[in-house]
Amino acid sequence: MRILVCVKAVPGSTEVKMDPKTNTIVRDGGSAVLNPFDASALEVALALKDAAAAGDPVRVTVLSMGIPATAKILRDCIARGADDAILLSDRAFAGADTLATTYALSLGAAAMGEAPDLVLCGKMAVDGDTAQIGPELAGALGIPCVADVAELVSLADGALTVRHATDAGVATVELALPALLTVAKDIAQLRMPSIAGVRAAEDAPVRVLSAADAGADSARCGLAGSPTQVVRSFVPERSGAAERVEGTAAGQAAKLVDLLGGMGL
Amino acid sequence: MIDIHPLTADFEDYLRDESRTVGSAQSISFPESEAEVREILARTAPSPVTLQGARTGLAAGAVPEGGHVMNLSRMNRYRGLHVDGETGRFHLCVEPGVILSELRKRLAKREIPAADWDEASLAALARFEQAPAQFFPTDPTEASAELGGMAACNASGARSYRYGAMRAHVSAVRVVLATGDVLALRRGEARARGRRLDLTCEDGRSLSLDLPTYVMPAVKNASGYYVADDMDAVDLFVGSDGTLGIITELELELLPVPAVTWGVSCFFEDESQALDFTIAARPVLGGRAAAFEYFDGAALSILRRQKSASAAFSGLPQVPERYRACVFVELECDDEDQALESLDAIGRAMGEVGADERDTWVARTDVDRECQRFFRHAVPESVNMLIDERRRTDPVITKLGSDMSVPDDRLHDVVALYRRTLAEAGLESAAWGHIGNNHLHVNVLPRDAADYAAGKELFKRWAAEVTAMGGAVSAEHGVGKMKRDFLLTMYGPEHIAEMARLKRRFDPEVRLNRGNLFAASEAEGQPVPAAFAAKGDE
Amino acid sequence: MSGLVVDSERCIGCGRCVRACGCTGIVVEGPRGRRLARPTDACILCASCVDACPVDAISVEREEAGAADLASYSGYWVFCQTDASGAPLPVAFELIGRARELADARGCRLTALLPAAANGAAPLIAAGADEVLCCADPRLADDDVEVFTSWICHLAEERRPEAILYGATVFGRVLAPAVAQRLQTGLTADCTVLDVDAQAGLLQQTRPAFGGNLMATIVCPAHRPQMATVRPGVFSAPAPDASRTGSVEEVALGDVPDARVRSLGVETAAAQDTLTDADVLVVVGRGIGSKKNIPLMQHLTDLLGGKLGCTRPVVETGWLEYWHQVGQTGVSVAPKVLLSVGVSGAVQHLAGIGGAETVIAINEDPSAPIFNAAHYRVEGDCIEVVRELVARLEARS
Repeated sequence: MRILVCVKAVPGSTEVKMDPKTNTIVRDGGSAVLNPFDASALEVALALKDAAAAGDPVRVTVLSMGIPATAKILRDCIARGADDAILLSDRAFAGADTLATTYALSLGAAAMGEAPDLVLCGKMAVDGDTAQIGPELAGALGIPCVADVAELVSLADGALTVRHATDAGVATVELALPALLTVAKDIAQLRMPSIAGVRAAEDAPVRVLSAADAGADSARCGLAGSPTQVVRSFVPERSGAAERVEGTAAGQAAKLVDLLGGMGL
Repeated sequence: MIDIHPLTADFEDYLRDESRTVGSAQSISFPESEAEVREILARTAPSPVTLQGARTGLAAGAVPEGGHVMNLSRMNRYRGLHVDGETGRFHLCVEPGVILSELRKRLAKREIPAADWDEASLAALARFEQAPAQFFPTDPTEASAELGGMAACNASGARSYRYGAMRAHVSAVRVVLATGDVLALRRGEARARGRRLDLTCEDGRSLSLDLPTYVMPAVKNASGYYVADDMDAVDLFVGSDGTLGIITELELELLPVPAVTWGVSCFFEDESQALDFTIAARPVLGGRAAAFEYFDGAALSILRRQKSASAAFSGLPQVPERYRACVFVELECDDEDQALESLDAIGRAMGEVGADERDTWVARTDVDRECQRFFRHAVPESVNMLIDERRRTDPVITKLGSDMSVPDDRLHDVVALYRRTLAEAGLESAAWGHIGNNHLHVNVLPRDAADYAAGKELFKRWAAEVTAMGGAVSAEHGVGKMKRDFLLTMYGPEHIAEMARLKRRFDPEVRLNRGNLFAASEAEGQPVPAAFAAKGDE
Repeated sequence: MSGLVVDSERCIGCGRCVRACGCTGIVVEGPRGRRLARPTDACILCASCVDACPVDAISVEREEAGAADLASYSGYWVFCQTDASGAPLPVAFELIGRARELADARGCRLTALLPAAANGAAPLIAAGADEVLCCADPRLADDDVEVFTSWICHLAEERRPEAILYGATVFGRVLAPAVAQRLQTGLTADCTVLDVDAQAGLLQQTRPAFGGNLMATIVCPAHRPQMATVRPGVFSAPAPDASRTGSVEEVALGDVPDARVRSLGVETAAAQDTLTDADVLVVVGRGIGSKKNIPLMQHLTDLLGGKLGCTRPVVETGWLEYWHQVGQTGVSVAPKVLLSVGVSGAVQHLAGIGGAETVIAINEDPSAPIFNAAHYRVEGDCIEVVRELVARLEARS
């Protein structure tokens, strides 16, 4: 079985603040890290690999679109147990929104040679928070998508049973492979690599594909292929000091009732 | 005038610390400046005064034995910064109530409040903002500790394997004596000649002191006053358990953050492999190992239980059943190639003792480091929870944790001692701690009052045997009130009397932190009861 | 050529862009006094540096795509997700309320898509829809994303709306991207503000990113329909106007694929011994005085429909069980409202409540650190205030 795990490098911190002197946004993200939701997706794949029957081994490929330095994060995925990695990296991919990213990732999936049986994505990325890539990629690959999966109940004979969040509660659903799942962060905790894993990953190749290598239509990549544009970014205002609720105990309680009522309670 | 509150039920929390022992007091204050500290000393005279901060200590050093409680948590300002001309290192001056976790956060974000700083400090701050990231190396498990308390007990932490205890990183102190005099001491400026130390207070009063004559063991040690020939005066106050004076300012030497920090948890199927691994890996890794920590099989079992029992611990990584011992090594290297070399060395050392390098967790990312940190801190936290649970059935039960260290060549001996005597006494236990310094916290887990009593007896016996091995009875928690009997075992009555004499030179009325290091009666100069003048001297 | 452009007249070489960049995509170089920013090959056009530049010297230039016959698209659509009984969810009415204003600004029609029978259409018209397209096909009963996607795409291709809005429900957040991918158009998730440029018809979609630390306004200039999802509760539902009229049209589901995901059952969430999912938390500290006040606090919690949390000392003294503990050694929580009662606010505790949207703290000690983390401070005897509060809440209900 082939499993494809899509991962994204995100800033180490999502803290943002305003520089009061210059009135500009300071986004000191630090170094890039593996999106935590994608880390959970990788662990789901590695657990399936561990559990695989000897006759039907699981091969786990990680795929990302990013700058050349993202190779380091992919190599770290290999240290933890992934078999190989593909990195889509090209100036042409820069500035992609979810639609253009989906297009690039679908080309990456095609570059695996053999179509993946299972595609795993984190439910969302902590920097963009859109949760769109999984469902869009499923559409591009023409496979069904189950989002926000909390538990992989079983996988046998190409049939997958999972529990996932829905508006009505937690639903248990069944579907046939190939399929795409987006996973909740708590579904699994990504293992750490061992010394042996770190050493093996040092020499493992990461396949880097340019837009041309991937056979991309440049009009559908990056900025050119992105229908949406950010026209303005700003830091939301926050209230400063706490607001006092004055009065006697009875008076304070009355104000609290109003306050809570205003919040729908 | 600052408030002195009667110690009513509202302030009950201030009668206890993390040792879980409860004291008594008549009044409490929260000074915000050195002037207020002096005012309170004058107004409460001649009553005893117990100093405290975050009350995270494990030796009851902050638990009052009557009198007044002076809580220094509100003295939490950052006073200034300077750069050492020779070493280029930054020295940050803080008040004792600054919380370690906050200090770390501020250093990491380079957000040090400098509102009322002078020109020189502001100039140093400008350099600090451009310099490579800095940190303060002392890292006790409880990061809500305050710097004043950490200096008072000469705190350590995992990284003390590389950096030593807090003492080495304190470059200056301001100390208010019980008499109200102020000593301003800077490292290198006031040194003893032999065991004779002359000090001059800010108002000109001079003190001529005879230092105790004992020789400290050559191991990790936080037992009693630090004394050595030609010693620096700053070193006397760090680790004095608040018995000599009140630290109102201290200057911390900062270090540049290492380029690469990786954590490696190495798992073994039995304890002797873990000990052999430590002995094999120490010399190979040299200065690249910042920490060498141990967790025994019982500690790992408690973690496994905790993970399944409680949502707060469900984020702990799964520890396979066959893992019965863990040594955590923290590597600090100049670059990743060096770190990879060190990983290889760890893998080889594991192979030499019959373990497998695949049974390791290597943390190279913040997420993994945080996971390892959670794992390490969950051990003492879980044991505390277990004890708290048992205490509900029998209030006499409290935590019984040892804090003793021995020289490198006695590691196997001391662990054999612990295992043999625990088995003989039929006690449950869990051990963890700083194996790189041959310093384990062996925790007896009493099931009832009889276990508790047996555990206390065992600790006395260990104190004597550890002393005989050339070790120390308190390696990092300080002596406080819980371990003064062990201090007596370690140094004997004459040396305790010397310490008490030294204390009275600074604190003639024996007001400050009565009961720390020695009983109040000993501090006042009464002879040590013969019954306590135990073995230990051999 | 599209890409990052630095205006050398404006650039002052301050280097803020370099610090803002997460991937060495921009450098500052040149001799002293004439230092200038220059994009490198590593630039991913994320525009972090654009925001960070104090002199507006950096911009992202793009070639104007040949606008595809935008004028032929008209009208606002709201997708009205329904519950198991076929009734539209509250978020559908909230969206219709706001979409009505946007459609008015544009002078266009507002259409509601109702995947249910026509008898559910009247309230949507009363809320502001000009037209309701209903489809009561049983294949829509299972909320299958692929079936819904086909249905909406068929309709949109045929009728060409300029914008489609969806509730950012669990289902909406899967359906909308699937539709966007099929129609090859833009989608903005979780908008909190929607405005329209009446002339050009550009929907100004403002949404939080970076965990809510940054807001971004997004447009979709050259693709139609423009699409956005909006979280429930962001807009308020309009008062129904029964006198409004509108058309109701039953549409066929058309040719859709068979559903490939089979539901085996849904568990409705049960109240569990966990605090992490609570929207309302009452958190008590030792300041409540004694264990005998716990029932009072539980009663308050029940009146607010929330859960009861506490600090570490409360667990240690045995007043409450461990699963109630909030803080560094307990659980971290992110409720909408956190009512903190008699909690002093130790650092370890504060570390666990950073995610709370609104913190109301009741404490006697004006210098309690909890007030620094609170949005509302109530100084006073917490037991007395809670008794009064409980009495009023009881009277209200």
